[in-house]
Amino acid sequence: MNEDRSEFLKGTLDMLILKVVALGPIHGYAIAQRIRQISKEFFQLQQGSLYPALHRLEERGWLKADWKDTETGREAKFYSLTPKGRKQLETEMQTWEKLTDAVALILRTAE
Amino acid sequence: MRWWMRLMRKARAEKQLDAELRFHVEQQIADYIAQGMTREEARRRARMEFGGMDQVKEEVHEAHRGYFLETLLQDVRYGLRMLRKDLGFTIVAVLTLALGIGATMAVFSMIDTLILRPLPIHNPHAVTFLAFPRDATHFDPSFSVAEFHEVSEQTSAVFSETAAMIMGGFAGPTARADGLTADGITRPVQTLFVSGNFFQMLGIRPYLGRFILTSEGQVPGADPVAVLSYRYWRARFHGDRTILNKVALINGHAVTIVGIGPKGFLGPTPIVEMEAYLPLGMMTVETGGNGAFLTDPKTRDLLVVARLRHNVKIERANAALAAVGQRIGKEYQRTGVGTLQARFLKPPGLVDGPNPFPPLAALFLTLAGLVLALACINVANLSLVRAAGRQREMAVRAALGGSRSRLIRQLLSETILLGLAGAGAGMIAGTLALRAVSSVALVSASAFPVVFEFPFNGRVFIFAVAVAILAAAVAGIVPALRASSADLSDVLHEGGRTSTGRSQRTRTALVAAQVGGSLALLVVAGLFVRNLRGAQHEDLGFDAQDVLNVTLDPGEIGYTQAQGVEFYRQLLDRVRALPGVQRASVAMAVPLDNFSSDDITIPGYVPQRGEELHADYNAVSPDYFRTMKIEVLQGHSFSDSDAESSPRVALINEAMAERFWHGANPIGRSFKRNGDAQHALEVVGVVKNSRTEDTFSPYGPAFYVPLSQDYTSSETLQIRTAGPPQAIAPEVLAIVRGLAPTVPVLVVRTMADAVRNSPDGLLLFDLGAEITAALGLLGLTLAMIGVYGVMAYAVGRRTQEIGVRMALGAQRNNILWMICRQGVVIVGIGLALGIAAAMGVGRLVGDFLVGVAPTDPLTYSAVSLLLTCVALLACYVPVRRAMRVDPMVALRHE
Repeated sequence: MNEDRSEFLKGTLDMLILKVVALGPIHGYAIAQRIRQISKEFFQLQQGSLYPALHRLEERGWLKADWKDTETGREAKFYSLTPKGRKQLETEMQTWEKLTDAVALILRTAE
Repeated sequence: MRWWMRLMRKARAEKQLDAELRFHVEQQIADYIAQGMTREEARRRARMEFGGMDQVKEEVHEAHRGYFLETLLQDVRYGLRMLRKDLGFTIVAVLTLALGIGATMAVFSMIDTLILRPLPIHNPHAVTFLAFPRDATHFDPSFSVAEFHEVSEQTSAVFSETAAMIMGGFAGPTARADGLTADGITRPVQTLFVSGNFFQMLGIRPYLGRFILTSEGQVPGADPVAVLSYRYWRARFHGDRTILNKVALINGHAVTIVGIGPKGFLGPTPIVEMEAYLPLGMMTVETGGNGAFLTDPKTRDLLVVARLRHNVKIERANAALAAVGQRIGKEYQRTGVGTLQARFLKPPGLVDGPNPFPPLAALFLTLAGLVLALACINVANLSLVRAAGRQREMAVRAALGGSRSRLIRQLLSETILLGLAGAGAGMIAGTLALRAVSSVALVSASAFPVVFEFPFNGRVFIFAVAVAILAAAVAGIVPALRASSADLSDVLHEGGRTSTGRSQRTRTALVAAQVGGSLALLVVAGLFVRNLRGAQHEDLGFDAQDVLNVTLDPGEIGYTQAQGVEFYRQLLDRVRALPGVQRASVAMAVPLDNFSSDDITIPGYVPQRGEELHADYNAVSPDYFRTMKIEVLQGHSFSDSDAESSPRVALINEAMAERFWHGANPIGRSFKRNGDAQHALEVVGVVKNSRTEDTFSPYGPAFYVPLSQDYTSSETLQIRTAGPPQAIAPEVLAIVRGLAPTVPVLVVRTMADAVRNSPDGLLLFDLGAEITAALGLLGLTLAMIGVYGVMAYAVGRRTQEIGVRMALGAQRNNILWMICRQGVVIVGIGLALGIAAAMGVGRLVGDFLVGVAPTDPLTYSAVSLLLTCVALLACYVPVRRAMRVDPMVALRHE
């Protein structure tokens, strides 16, 4: 991953994680995989940023975690969204949409 | 949560993080294998991608720490906002905490000065004083000059410097104040005569000029120099630097002032100030030129202080001292004492006998702590009320995902902010209280200048802040736990009346504890006040009322004995002629102020092993016993015919007659004073026991000799008056000036004042009573606020209920009882708790009480009654409000 993408990720990582978790309980490895697949390999999530982020979100009360068995029968830590987290995700998505709309508008208008 | 539970939780979290990360790697490996890699290759690839396991963990921890700081700042900001919003609560809570913290800080500051603070000298922990122990708590610290030299020479391997000192006015045959004359005015001065290496031993530097030199003080009267203390120099000479190398008179002898001591240095003890330092040889200013104290092996006036050599432990020094002490004991016939020892010179100094400060400190600190606890309970109660109002806020926050520990932390940070504000205000309050204590005037004819100053220093500051945080945590934890456990559905279903019965019970219990604590405080205060009362009304054996004391010293202006005797004779004649004067006499010593004692020998009396024969004594003019109203029981008083040349006579007190003659008629028997071997004193009378050195010890032997047979120049004129004794003072002083214009008048005060305000009199009783009474009143006030608060809140909460009951026809009496019942329960439980607590604290108090039992039933019942009345009064206001509830208004509220 190059520098630009890393910077870009920092502000939006929380939102991406919340969005992925919003689909249902999911463990850390799967979150990384999902983000990579959906973004068509654009985001290669490093563990050094994923896990601190997960723990931070849990501490803020946006995520909660449970230890559950995976389909292969192994125990893993599954994250899910709290009501507070859902609210946070909505706010962030709205902000994001406003931001991208505005950026898109500028890019189009300036052409 | 217990600390070990927290530790376990931490360990578990660490394990879980480990498992979570490992799972990630293994899952990755499994995926790669599924994609067709070999196990070996998959593992290598996954490891590489994951990076360092420890590094990832560290980053997770970093995220946690960052979060903690971020939320701490949030808590503080939020806390400040909430406190500002609720300004009334904040002010009351801060003031309450300030009272508790201020009281605790003030007591701690006294303890710091009296016990903890090291002397302001170089490495104070290496300085010792030498003494022969008598028993566990008593010792003999006096040495003759010869003994001092011997000890000094033979212990140079363990002590780098061994110095000697004699406190002026304390040693020698009579206890008297020294006077320092400058510009024709004489004022008392506390002198310390020191060996030339004294200041070198302490390792301090003069503020101005020089100290006494090692070469000075070897020859009697040879080095007339003096060093003044910084405080004395500021007070007496207003910090005039030109005072150096000027000549002043000490007891009429010219000395040159060569230096000023360092700021903050009072002498070798923490509260008694040494105001002028002279070379040892200058003791001649006290002995009237007699230099025998330097050579006489029996004159043991020196106190010896020594500094341990670097890296020498006190045990090694003691081993060396034991050998020297044994030799000295043999050579100079010291009997009945143990092995010579060095003891650390710690505050409060050389206390012979049990040190009263540690138990007294423990007592006062306990009482102040109790006041602080009461203040904490008040704040806790206020917070509970506030928490009830904030239950919705808490429940909603909890429902939105705020963790319980987070809510607790946030509420606690609010109280800790309160505590810190309380610490600030408390330091101000404590400093003011200390200033009030320091202002106690200590005037005494010869007692040492006691400096009651309790400076605010780093230790006191740290103590106050620590106490504040502790208090805040104590006050905050119950409300925080209660508030954070609120359940959203409970709260939202309960409507406006959100306080649950449990919360009310918590508050009732807290207030009951408060009433109990306050009772314990009041009991102690009551005991101390009764103690003071008892001491005030105790029969002193003389009548202190309506007597004026005027202490003079014509010796300061060079009067010989013959001139002095004539001066006092004329003075008495003229004073007796004044209107309103009933009796007048002259005495060397004033009881409870500057009495001294002398060693005696009694023919035919065999002392028991270790028994020392000494008795308090006074030299008095014939009218003394009538002036003081001390009854002569047997024989007769002195008369004008007892002259220096006539046979020596003495009056003794009952205790002396009993102890040495066992009830046989002592009249006609004789005894000798050890300082005057050639004269036997014939007992001519027995007087009633009266107080000499303190007000509470059992009476010991005392004797009186005629002034004409034991003259000292410093005497106290005592005048019994018909009216207020102060009124006559100007006329008396006019007579003194008429007889000798420049004679120094050292002290003018009433006998009653001398009894009340000297350290040997009632001063300590008085201080004890005042401090405990102040703490007791604080406690009472806090308890009253507590009771009022909980009752007012209960009434407010039940307004609707009262309205409904009234509307349904309940009698006023029923309502009254319903409300009062709670108050009665609080007071009842509180009294029971308080009596139990007071019994516990009473055990600490027992040692300081004279004539009052720590379980004194009168004190207990009076205090309980007082507390009950005050508590019921605190109930009355809210109850009256309840009685006035208008059913219509209350119901409309619903």
